Amino acid sequence: MGFGVAPREITQGNVQRIMYLHVPTAWVAYLAFGTVFVASVAYLWTRSAAADRLAQASAEAGVIFTGVTIAAGSIWGKPTWGTWWTWDARLTSVALLFVMYLGYLLLRGMIEERERAARYSAVLGIVAALDIPLVHFSVYWWRTLHQPPSLMKPGPATMPPVIVAALLVNVVAFTLLYAYFVAKRLRSLRLEEEALA
Amino acid sequence: MPDNWQFVAGAYGLAVLVLGGYWRRLVRLERKAKSAGTRLRRRSRRLARSA
Repeated sequence: MGFGVAPREITQGNVQRIMYLHVPTAWVAYLAFGTVFVASVAYLWTRSAAADRLAQASAEAGVIFTGVTIAAGSIWGKPTWGTWWTWDARLTSVALLFVMYLGYLLLRGMIEERERAARYSAVLGIVAALDIPLVHFSVYWWRTLHQPPSLMKPGPATMPPVIVAALLVNVVAFTLLYAYFVAKRLRSLRLEEEALA
Repeated sequence: MPDNWQFVAGAYGLAVLVLGGYWRRLVRLERKAKSAGTRLRRRSRRLARSA
């Protein structure tokens, strides 16, 4: 869709097609870490092993998609902003989100006792999710080089319908890919637990 | 502004590598967990038979 259907953007040229990768992966990162938050709360509430497995699977996928978002944004930034990276509020808060969930995965790997690892990482999963609204609203709260949201904002879209359609198709495709990754990881985590039980 | 196709190819290429690499890791983990489960089941059956 980003190549075949969406037109060439007038000001940026074809490099703007990176948006069809950057925005959907950013959306999936929000979704993944939002899922970690909900699953972590559910784990602390019910002590359900399934909720803990969901948090772990979603955190892994979230880190992967955030990494892709940051890399694609950086590659897009070089020709349009003239720099690979700048410490503005949006980029810094996303980098913080990435590092916190990387820490979440490291914490899980460091603690051998299953129950304690689940409890500690659930707390970290909840605390780290507080950065999600900061990431999203950083472009409104501070003066940043990063543009405001293209899709996830109140009111009608300001982009031409064909661009919005291409973007939405990619958002759905990446969301399905995230769901597939999480389902596959959940399956292997369940099998690991059954083997250990 | 020039098209900068090399940046577009770089971004999409990197995404394919990262997402494809993660998918391969998931397949490997699943296979490993499956074979570990099978091994353990076989061993416990053997132990039950010998007991």
